[in-house]
Amino acid sequence: MSRLHDMGGRLGDGPIPIPRNKNNEIEINEPTFKYKWHAKAWAITLAAGGLGEWNLDISRHFRECLPPKDYMNYSYYEKWLAGLTNLLVNKNIISADDLKEFIALVETEGTDFKPNQNLELDKRAWLVKDVAKTLGWGGPSLRETKINPQFKVGDKIRALSYSPNEDVNGGHTRLPSYVMGRIGKIVSYHGTHVLPDKNAHGNGENPMPLYTVEFKGAELWGAMAEDGEDSIYLDLWEPYLIHQNS
Amino acid sequence: MNNPKDKDHSHDHDHGHGHSHDHEDAHSLLPSDPELRVKAIESLLLSKGLVDAKTLDELIDTYENKIGPQNGAKVVAKAWIDNDYKKRLIADATSAIRELSYQGRQGENMIVVENTPEIHNIIVCTLCSCYPWPVLGIPPTWYKSDEYRSRTVREPRKVLSEFGVEIDSQVKVKVWDSTAELRYLVLPMRPKGSENMNESELAELVTRNSMIGTGLPENVK
Repeated sequence: MSRLHDMGGRLGDGPIPIPRNKNNEIEINEPTFKYKWHAKAWAITLAAGGLGEWNLDISRHFRECLPPKDYMNYSYYEKWLAGLTNLLVNKNIISADDLKEFIALVETEGTDFKPNQNLELDKRAWLVKDVAKTLGWGGPSLRETKINPQFKVGDKIRALSYSPNEDVNGGHTRLPSYVMGRIGKIVSYHGTHVLPDKNAHGNGENPMPLYTVEFKGAELWGAMAEDGEDSIYLDLWEPYLIHQNS
Repeated sequence: MNNPKDKDHSHDHDHGHGHSHDHEDAHSLLPSDPELRVKAIESLLLSKGLVDAKTLDELIDTYENKIGPQNGAKVVAKAWIDNDYKKRLIADATSAIRELSYQGRQGENMIVVENTPEIHNIIVCTLCSCYPWPVLGIPPTWYKSDEYRSRTVREPRKVLSEFGVEIDSQVKVKVWDSTAELRYLVLPMRPKGSENMNESELAELVTRNSMIGTGLPENVK
């Protein structure tokens, strides 16, 4: 079983919401953030991540674990805000009472509410002088290990037909359901990378070999493929894959 | 004013808070107006000193003004004009892109895929919204939409057609679903008639969508 975020190949979605200008041409220079609150939601999520209390996989999993009704109703940055709120409370960085207090304040004072910011910064806070340096380094997932990859370029594989997460029922994984049980071919190897299935639950990085795997349109979509010879490539970790003979 | 306890009555749209699941998550306490939601969390984090307001401003300024598709356009223009650079870019995109000082968050491991007369590449992230920030910035709204995420792997040609990109049946389509921490950039084909243009003139032709695969570079006027 999977969650709603795992939507690759899903039927029923309409046209891509492509913005158009007044001449009905595709607009490709839309602003980075459509609304100021989008920018703020994005920035507080990054800045709170800078506290170092969780990793990228944990924050993704919190967004994915929103109740299905909320996941479908929320716009993109509403999902980010909801995931962030749950993370902050779950990691005991704020309490539900703190949250209720500030909700009451902004509901009374409105968006002009000015919080008292004259406090000393928490020692975990991401300082403005470190922003460029931290962004420039990022968070590489590649790890040096002595693990020998079990597959080589050209090998035929089959993706597991169920969630590869062995620790948590309904736990995080990056194996999309649309390739589960399908046969593909290894096209490149990228070294050993942090395994999200473990890392999203605070169970260590457990780096594993990462491959790019090619699936043919016909293998994924059968007779309904637009062109059976078109290829879909996914980056998949070794524990997601099994050897496929012939 | 809205009282949090009355939120289910003051909602202009139903989020189903607290009714569809058996536990009350913290997010269900939030006000229905997203601007107030951001304001509540931002104010709380600022007042506790967990977040510095100057850091928020710096982050937003960085991606509104410094990091965006103009970076990727320079990479593409250089590859069009310098064949040795193009070879390095295809062989080890992370290092070749770093030569232009573009690196870091959400672009730690880069892969460049090249369009040719026989192959058209298109990038998607079906599971979330993975996108190569150092060269393209923050993804556009449509890239993060359910429609793009669900349909691109199943019917890429139809999706491309909605973007005005018609792919000949003789051309193979390659869809790259960013399921790990590798980030993809499409190297589009150099437009006809651009033979005498210099690198900065070429960079002007490179659109953001052409580097995602949902567009083509501008025609030479």
